[in-house]
Amino acid sequence: MTALTAIIAREGKIRATNLTFIFWDLFYPLGYLLVFGVGINASLGFATDPGVSYSAFFLAGVLSMASFGIASNTSWSFFLDRDNGIFYEMLTYPMSRPQYLLGKVLFNIGVATVQSAITITLAASLLGVPLRASGWPLLTAAVTIGTAGWFFFYALFALRIRRNDAFNTVTSIFYFIFLFASSMFYPLDPLPRALRVAAYANPITWQVDVIRYATIGMGNATQIALEGVAFLFFTAASFFAAIAALRNQE
Amino acid sequence: MLRNRPCGGKPRPRCPVSEMAIQVENLAKVFRRKRWASGSDIRAVDDLSFSVRRGEIFGLLGPNGAGKTTTLRILTTLVRPTSGAARVLGYDVMRHALDVRTRIVVVIQEQAAELLLSVRDNLLTFARFHGLAGPDVRRRADHVLDILGLTPDAGRKPQDLSGGFRRRVQLAKVFMVDTPIIFLDEFSTGMDPILKRSVMELLRKEVANGRTIVLTTQVLTEAEELCDDILIIDRGKQVARGDLNTLKLLTEQVYEVALTFDRAPDNVDALVDGYHVVRRQIAQNTLLIALQESESRVLELVSALAARRRLLRLEINGASLEDIFIALTRKETAS
Repeated sequence: MTALTAIIAREGKIRATNLTFIFWDLFYPLGYLLVFGVGINASLGFATDPGVSYSAFFLAGVLSMASFGIASNTSWSFFLDRDNGIFYEMLTYPMSRPQYLLGKVLFNIGVATVQSAITITLAASLLGVPLRASGWPLLTAAVTIGTAGWFFFYALFALRIRRNDAFNTVTSIFYFIFLFASSMFYPLDPLPRALRVAAYANPITWQVDVIRYATIGMGNATQIALEGVAFLFFTAASFFAAIAALRNQE
Repeated sequence: MLRNRPCGGKPRPRCPVSEMAIQVENLAKVFRRKRWASGSDIRAVDDLSFSVRRGEIFGLLGPNGAGKTTTLRILTTLVRPTSGAARVLGYDVMRHALDVRTRIVVVIQEQAAELLLSVRDNLLTFARFHGLAGPDVRRRADHVLDILGLTPDAGRKPQDLSGGFRRRVQLAKVFMVDTPIIFLDEFSTGMDPILKRSVMELLRKEVANGRTIVLTTQVLTEAEELCDDILIIDRGKQVARGDLNTLKLLTEQVYEVALTFDRAPDNVDALVDGYHVVRRQIAQNTLLIALQESESRVLELVSALAARRRLLRLEINGASLEDIFIALTRKETAS
């Protein structure tokens, strides 16, 4: 417990030193929803189901994008720590490797939860997105597990790749593939078959679909359950792979 | 043979009783070349065995690439050994890494600091990892900042400080906790001589209070002044071991001769030819020679040199650690 609270306190102190960090952490998905979501809604009049606006549809996308973004940024902090030398010193502190990763992810889950609460509240009040209170437990679980899953996934690469520029290239590719070959921005049914298959194999689609079901009730319950279980496996596999990568830091 | 005490397996051991702070047996570390890279595997540590008594300062010396840092990284649970055993206070570094980490504090070779946190927060954050928080720890941080001359910079971030000050921040952590073992990997890098001296004094006090220090250094005078016990390694293997006096015996009659003349001597090369010179240096009118010769041969050379120029000052000493180090590692390279 000491190790976890120490890591959470450390991450909190580092974030608190920079107002830009705090602003970006908390309001970035909201900004995306307001600018991109409202823009598409207004200019293209996009609607998937009768009565569902693009803002409502896209809310799940921005919440998943936030999990994805936080994970990517936090993983990049391994490079910062490595450059500062503190990374290797921290590996000699009284904590296990899993505690190190869990501490980081717990802090980020906290940030993602606050971020989601702000985004949802303002989406409902400013954009009139109708929300289902019954879906909040599922939404919380999806944001929590989603943030953890993506962090472990990115950490795996951040720990294996030693060069900052190489990692940045990888994350750029990941952003392109994971975000656009998914149900984040558009429904999958009208897509060409190859793209649709790729999107269904994409863990971000699984997370987006669960969040969309939790927020506006869109989707088939059985399919959502399967996607949720698949994402749990993805998270567990990423966690163990990240632990192995951390243990191999020599 | 290092025997497993009853601490093997679960539940975790409370505290194995070990008279030795550190026990290393047949330790080896091989860094495998990547499949796509050229060259062969690197054997950084090769069948190394030693132990460190509690409450002493132990120096691990060797030329660049000797395996000092790798050995230290194994002992601090950063690197896994390829074979052999290493225990810190009786805890196996592989199987009980967390138990080891709770009992050590490490100053790694690279500069390490939380650049975005203030100097004070660096210390408080570190202490929190060791379960220390609250007013007592803040008071202790203030004291540590004071003894390391960091008080005026306590509120600044290390990213705004010079390399030497960042090193102080790193070293300050040693005094924030009471872990029984301190590992220092070239701790004095970037320190000015005055600070270095006061840090050495502080380290001696820590040892007097029962802590054990394991250090690596390239600055041999530092080891000479600090270490109770010294291990010299080269290419991962032990070259020599003992306190300074024991090591001096190993090098068989190495003398350090300093001669100051009225004018710079010439033809020194011709004069020293035929003598076994460990190292030689001319600065202004002073000639410094380390010789591995009998007393009579040393005096013979001194007489020959004194005949060339008027001798203003003569000093003959036994070997310094530097001479011993050069003699031993050269011998190892030749063999």
